[in-house]
Amino acid sequence: MGSWKKYLLWLVLALPAAFMLHSLVWQDTLPMDLLHPSGELSVRLMVLAMLPGPLSEFFGENRLLRFWLSMRRYFGVAAFAYALLHLAVYVLDMRSLPAILDEFTLPGIWTGWLALVLLLPAACTSFDAAMRRLKRNWKRVQRIIYLAFLAGLVHWLLLDWEWRPAVIHAAPLVLAWTLRFVARIRTDVGRPLS
Amino acid sequence: MTAKCRLLAISLSAAALALASAPAHADGNVTCNSGAKENWQPINKLKKKVWLERWSLLKTQIEGDCYEVYARTESGQAIEAFFHPVTLEKLVVFRRGKEIYRAKGFEG
Repeated sequence: MGSWKKYLLWLVLALPAAFMLHSLVWQDTLPMDLLHPSGELSVRLMVLAMLPGPLSEFFGENRLLRFWLSMRRYFGVAAFAYALLHLAVYVLDMRSLPAILDEFTLPGIWTGWLALVLLLPAACTSFDAAMRRLKRNWKRVQRIIYLAFLAGLVHWLLLDWEWRPAVIHAAPLVLAWTLRFVARIRTDVGRPLS
Repeated sequence: MTAKCRLLAISLSAAALALASAPAHADGNVTCNSGAKENWQPINKLKKKVWLERWSLLKTQIEGDCYEVYARTESGQAIEAFFHPVTLEKLVVFRRGKEIYRAKGFEG
């Protein structure tokens, strides 16, 4: 991706955070009001990062998917950044470490911490040097984001007890993974027996 | 079992454990059967109820046909409480999605 496109994408991805911080500092928004939007955006960015891989395996690499694949890393890093913002507003909302520790064992809370921890390896290895150094293992490390996504959805579900958001966010991925599965079966069937 | 299958099994087990260890109560769809809004008491009256509970109030809002209060308990716990808009009775209280109080006989 060209460098101006890269910077434009960073700018677009940073805009929601700017609006959130602006509303927190200059308007009456409470930190607790930003918990939902920051967490939801993190999950959505994870979906955007995870979708193009399986889709390109099914549809083949066209121009759109190539472009999307080239942006995948930025979506992943932004998902981590919004997860950190989510944590920051949570800390602001809770105000004290003892209060945070006191509710750590609640299922709706520890699943959120777990999602954040699971995002860490992918985020820490999201630069070119790590990619070169880890070689084949890089992809394995990046795949941990699937588990982070699952933990994030469970965290959301346990806090809201509302199944629709989880289904809506998981559905495109389940569909894409099904398509990839179909693509792999097609490849296996077409492959001559050795 | 391959490493991938093991990882998937572990993660699904963790998800199941988290879901199973939390009581299944929906704070997203509490219903108060409070009737017409004309008969509701002003939401500001909740401030006194919150004060009597010794909570510090963060926010009040209407959620469905209930009054909802976001507050902190004396010990700093973040809670979400539902009150009946007509009687202002405390009906149910959640802490991070976990039910910690329910009024006797309330099933909404």
